[in-house]
Amino acid sequence: MINRFSAEIATATLTAGLGLTAVIGALEFGIGWGDAGPEPGAFPFYIGLLVVAASAGNLFQTITHRHGLQSVFLDREQAVRVASFLIPMVAFVVIARLLGLYVAAALYLTFVMRVQGKYRLITSAASGIGAAVVFYLVLEVGFQVPLLKGPLEAALGLY
Amino acid sequence: MENFASLLHGFGVALTTYHVTLMMIGVLLGILVGVLPGLGAPNGVSLLLPLTFTMDPVAAIILLTSMYWGALFGGSTTSILFNIPGEPSSVATTFDGYPMARQGQAAQALTLAFLSAGFGALMGVILITILSSWVAKFALRFSSPEYFAVYFLAFASFVGLGAASPFKTIVSMGLGFAFAAVGMDTVSGGLRLTFGFNELLSGISFLIAVIGLFGIGELVLTMEEGLHFDGIKVRVRARDVVKTIATLPRYWMTLLRSSAIGCWMGITPGGPTAASFMSYGLAKRLSRRKDAFGHGEPEGVVAPETADHAAGSSAILPMLALGVPGSATAAVMMGGLMIWGLNPGPMLFIERPDFVWGLIASMYLGNIVAVLMVLATIPLFASILRIPFAIIGPIIVIVCFIGAYTVAGRPFDLWLALLFGVAGYLFKKLDYPIAPLVLAMVLGDKAEDAFRQSMIMSKGSLSIFWSNGLVATLMVIGLALAFGPALSTLASRLARPKTSSVAA
Repeated sequence: MINRFSAEIATATLTAGLGLTAVIGALEFGIGWGDAGPEPGAFPFYIGLLVVAASAGNLFQTITHRHGLQSVFLDREQAVRVASFLIPMVAFVVIARLLGLYVAAALYLTFVMRVQGKYRLITSAASGIGAAVVFYLVLEVGFQVPLLKGPLEAALGLY
Repeated sequence: MENFASLLHGFGVALTTYHVTLMMIGVLLGILVGVLPGLGAPNGVSLLLPLTFTMDPVAAIILLTSMYWGALFGGSTTSILFNIPGEPSSVATTFDGYPMARQGQAAQALTLAFLSAGFGALMGVILITILSSWVAKFALRFSSPEYFAVYFLAFASFVGLGAASPFKTIVSMGLGFAFAAVGMDTVSGGLRLTFGFNELLSGISFLIAVIGLFGIGELVLTMEEGLHFDGIKVRVRARDVVKTIATLPRYWMTLLRSSAIGCWMGITPGGPTAASFMSYGLAKRLSRRKDAFGHGEPEGVVAPETADHAAGSSAILPMLALGVPGSATAAVMMGGLMIWGLNPGPMLFIERPDFVWGLIASMYLGNIVAVLMVLATIPLFASILRIPFAIIGPIIVIVCFIGAYTVAGRPFDLWLALLFGVAGYLFKKLDYPIAPLVLAMVLGDKAEDAFRQSMIMSKGSLSIFWSNGLVATLMVIGLALAFGPALSTLASRLARPKTSSVAA
């Protein structure tokens, strides 16, 4: 179980880190006055500082209101639900990079329907493949927008 | 009168079979994204945008704005039938809409919602017709410092008027500006903030951010809450519709008041969500039937719906005339305009009058088309929500990632969308506002250019932002908006030191 206090602290630290990254990145390009006005790093530098300062403000507010923030941010049941949604989604992205979006889409829909929807494998697989075909027809044929493809499309000669 | 002639010309542009067909497709797609959880107006428009890159700008903007109207209507539908707001701006509609539906008045509630929404939108469009060319003419006097002041004003009002903690608003906004700065620097043409990653050379697209933050983030949140849709079955019969139309004039005061609130909040970046809540609150306070609110009072449906749509449509005005969008969806559309090679702002009225007035005319037509179509198709769309989430959820995920890929055809964007999705989930749970981030990503380069050009004009002195009456006024209003609420809290705390008020 995660409480709201830790979640606030973690997020504020993260945003401060992003702000700091912008500040450090900007220093490389000069933050002063160049031949053509302010140098390219100037604007990101001050924006980064602003983010760091506001994150510090958030940290300060979180710590001073610590007692009001002991509520549950994420309980065990919710965490399981979020994980069961996020993990297949991450797998979908990984597979999409390797095998292309169509194959990944078909596998992903099949998996979720079978495991989380408790549908029969044949129904799930048919829906998955059907969805991939519909996406192909709408995007590649209808709008002529090419999607990321993999070895299967190459084998079928769909380029 | 000049505007009226331009508008008639605009109708000539908008009223072709092709454009009306596009309106119908747009509205249908819009209702679909409005009804589906996790998809809303901003990311519906983001998903569709890459498909319009090859279209003519007039046709493309008609498709996108129609989708926007449809999404607003779809959001109200789920509020009334399922007690699930499809859009943040239709939360207030659930207060009385859902009780009405439970009492067997679903058809009346829907009809009232759609008609008052249509009325509100119409008021917004009329406002645009009257004011836009005037605002644009005024804005022709702006140069870089004034533009920077207008952007400052827009972001200051987020900080001061937003419901979230001002620090969280600033973090969200600052991150937006930082993301916008990644990649090519528009002034010097050099690369920056890429940290050696080739993938970051062409920058981070705001469309990816919107798809991740609004789409995937929202889906994760929906999953976490566990899904159970207890929808109310509805049949919209023509007789009920006609009967309900007859009761509409009874609410004329609410309609006018809510439109006024909506238009104001739409032009200033208060946005549709704030407008609908404010309008609901006022209607309740001023009503003679206060106690009926929350238990199925028709006026409680009319007020937020009118304001929501009035704000939604009038948010287009500052986008067109000044280049400062009034809502997240308007920001996405403005990004679209820039991708099509159009430069939103006063020059657009001079360079592309056919585009501007065609768009405005299409907003009249689009809303009428939307009201008719939504009334005709709503039972169909309501049944979509009865499809189990194990099927519809992954399909929405796939659509989001396909949308992210089509933006630029870069596989790296899939990872970015995923990261933004997780960030969106965290931000939503911790009450960080997302709209300022999107606005900052769209306006980032323009705001930076305005700032740098002002600095060049003044040789590095910040005093240029106080150099004439116009820019000084804008800056003072901006500062007042940003710091006013904080100062008044501080003052009241100093006056009564014992009460520990929490600055939310």
